Amino acid sequence: MSRPFPYTYISCPCADTPVPDPARKRRSRESPQKSPQKPPPERANTDQDKKLSAKEEEQGEDEDEEQTFDPRSPRSNFSLYPPEQLLYCEECHQIKCPRCITEEIVSWYCPSCLFETPSSMVRSDGNRCGRNCFNCPVCTAPLAVSTIENATGNAPQQGPWVLSCGYCLWTTLDIGIKFDKPTNIRSQLQKMTDSTPPAALDRSRQASRTFEDLKHPLSSYASIDEQSNARERDGEQAAPKEDQGAPPMGMDARFAALKNFYRTQISETSNSPNDHLSSEFGFSSPGALNRLMSLYASSSRLSGLYGGSKKPKSKPPVMREALTASEGLQVASENSETDMIARLQSPECGWDGMASIDQRATQSPDARFIDDLLPLPVLLRTKRAKRCKSCKHILVKPESKPQSTRFRIRLIALSYIPLPTLRPLAPSSSSALPAMAPTSDLNSLPPLRPIHILLTLKNHMFDPVRITLATPPVTPGRVATKVTVLSPQFEIGANSDVWDEALQGASAPLTSDSRSAALRGVPEAGKVWDKGRNWTTVVLEVVPGTLPGSSAEGGDGNPNTETNDEDVLAVAASRQDEDVLEIPVFVHMDWDADAQLDQQNVGKGSKPDDKVTRELAYWMVLGVGRIQPSL
Amino acid sequence: MPPPKTAKGEYIETDTGNKISRRSQIHGTQHIILGGKTVIQAEAVIRGDLFRTATLPTDPNNASAAAAPNPSTPSVAITVGRYSYISKSAILRPPSRLHRGIHSFYPLKIGDHVFVGEGAVVEAASLGNHVHVGKGAAVGSMAIIKDYAYVLDGAVVPPGMVVPSWCIVGGRPARIVGEVGEGYGVEGAEGGMARERYRVVGRT
Ligand SMILES: [Zn+2]
Ligand SMILES: [Zn+2]
Ligand SMILES: [Zn+2]
Ligand SMILES: [Zn+2]
Repeated sequence: MSRPFPYTYISCPCADTPVPDPARKRRSRESPQKSPQKPPPERANTDQDKKLSAKEEEQGEDEDEEQTFDPRSPRSNFSLYPPEQLLYCEECHQIKCPRCITEEIVSWYCPSCLFETPSSMVRSDGNRCGRNCFNCPVCTAPLAVSTIENATGNAPQQGPWVLSCGYCLWTTLDIGIKFDKPTNIRSQLQKMTDSTPPAALDRSRQASRTFEDLKHPLSSYASIDEQSNARERDGEQAAPKEDQGAPPMGMDARFAALKNFYRTQISETSNSPNDHLSSEFGFSSPGALNRLMSLYASSSRLSGLYGGSKKPKSKPPVMREALTASEGLQVASENSETDMIARLQSPECGWDGMASIDQRATQSPDARFIDDLLPLPVLLRTKRAKRCKSCKHILVKPESKPQSTRFRIRLIALSYIPLPTLRPLAPSSSSALPAMAPTSDLNSLPPLRPIHILLTLKNHMFDPVRITLATPPVTPGRVATKVTVLSPQFEIGANSDVWDEALQGASAPLTSDSRSAALRGVPEAGKVWDKGRNWTTVVLEVVPGTLPGSSAEGGDGNPNTETNDEDVLAVAASRQDEDVLEIPVFVHMDWDADAQLDQQNVGKGSKPDDKVTRELAYWMVLGVGRIQPSL
Repeated sequence: MPPPKTAKGEYIETDTGNKISRRSQIHGTQHIILGGKTVIQAEAVIRGDLFRTATLPTDPNNASAAAAPNPSTPSVAITVGRYSYISKSAILRPPSRLHRGIHSFYPLKIGDHVFVGEGAVVEAASLGNHVHVGKGAAVGSMAIIKDYAYVLDGAVVPPGMVVPSWCIVGGRPARIVGEVGEGYGVEGAEGGMARERYRVVGRT
């Protein structure tokens, strides 16, 4: 989802840990012997740094990345998030993005009927709604249960019923399916499509049981040959009967039959009688593992080494495969492929009669034609709790009820880091800067014309915070836009009682638009533009660079912008949307928090009144607009 | 290109703070309830004239002619909550359904802090609170869009679809393609801009 200009993204510090400091690398290069200290980030705007950074344009890309966050770097895609998507861990005191959390399912629900599915039912229902919710197999729109006899208004509640799509007008009549009742459609449908002869299942169970009888616990003849021979004889008798009697099973029924078959196979072929229990737990159960181990151990030298006994001479029992249709075997018909090709070529099928790849992806593997497509029970969705990956603390816990939008726990980053909003400063008529461009259209910023951008940071914490902003003097990439934060250091007030603001008539930041511009006159360096109870607005002076190859490109353009990148992909990625003006801003914030929340930190930076100084630093990207190709 | 400057007095402000463009088309005002501080922009069409009556007009295009046959029982066609925003050229139209052979209209309920984008067509049964309907999107008849759901630009939500809370839908027909972040709807952030949006309307 791309956002309209202006937008702000925040880079999760997990992308580069420790958080890169824009000046650290520089300092360390100046004096490589000295251990890198933490210089004030606002130095990034000094003249000396300008020169340095110009030099650094020539340096390798990797060094550039460590210094200034480049919103255009392919890696940035993985760390930039809209502010409302970020969480905050109070234990780690850090921003948490979707990459630094783990999720746990709180509840399953159907997105169509909004009923919760108990976790015990989720598996048996195949992660799909067990009620009357279906998606159209042709277009995925939800299907409605409607009666065919709609025209005759005086006959309410009379079937037959069909599922119909309100988007592409497909109905189950297209595949010849009608329902007797408007309820329990899924089980009705299952009965129709599966055509599972219950007798077949019973028979297979019986067959297995006879086999169990055959295999005496003490007998040693239960080898694979004997077993399969016996079964073949058995199967030969059974197969012709079944093939004629029962119609071919549906996918689900066949799966159930195969599952059942293998379950009995596991129990039958296990060595110890206790293993019968294990069949309930499947292949991964300790019993199954035991069986596998003994299978290998008996034939290896190890058995001689450890056991030493000569007993396990008999061949271990080996599982066989399904042999009859009732066990889930489906024999490929001889002519099925040629029949299918003939049908594809026939005029009544044509292109429209074939199912698309998208449609087939959600259907049984046999579905080739539109008529084979069955209504799809709606896939369930989940409500999930989120944990910090590093400390395992819960950051988000929604209420489990599907219809509830409330949270038991919700530690969003916006409760801690200031909410950034961006807005161009409308040029006032009495402006002292005649070169100021009209900023009404952010989609075509004229190059080399300075504009003023108002950046408002709104604090949601109950403590005032001190902010230091730093930007590279020139934006990274081939389009060199000059950026200056006119007042990089400022404070934001605490988020005190919300009612105060409401009673005072709510002077929110975005309201004081042109009115205040006229009052405030010209943006000045070192002065914040505007300030409210828990927000502060500062001005960024931006001189959009010229696009490479545009007519306006002159001596002002950066001569070093020609990239010698090895990485072709990176270049391609950077040239696409090159005209988008994105400004990386390094935000450093610190504040005095109550120490009582975690005692272990009291010793370090404690202040007399049980306050602890906390700090947080991260990169932020301001999407200002698009630069015009020429003046 | 900067948009043409709005003429002075473009918006009529009601007692409850609704700002309604003089260039919007609102039919059947007695069947529309606006919760206050709602914005209706120019060329938006609101069809309050399509409401359920005992004798139903069969052709919705002629409905305005046959409207209000019984003024003593005013039925509500459209309800809009507080701080909702109906953009330019958007169309709000009560949903309708063929029920037992009779075509009848049902009320359209729109919650608080809802945004309906430019040129969008909404025929839903309900849009919950903080719902965003993108530019050029179409929300089909009887669809139910729950709180904090997000309909992307140009999406076509099929008739009768239910979009759960926090879900993002897009495409034609619309499918659930993602979820908004937990911070969605926080005042001033994405999904929580309704008050700011309201305040700047009508200022020149
Ligand atoms: Zn992260
Ligand atoms: Zn359902
Ligand atoms: Zn369909
Ligand atoms: Zn943590």
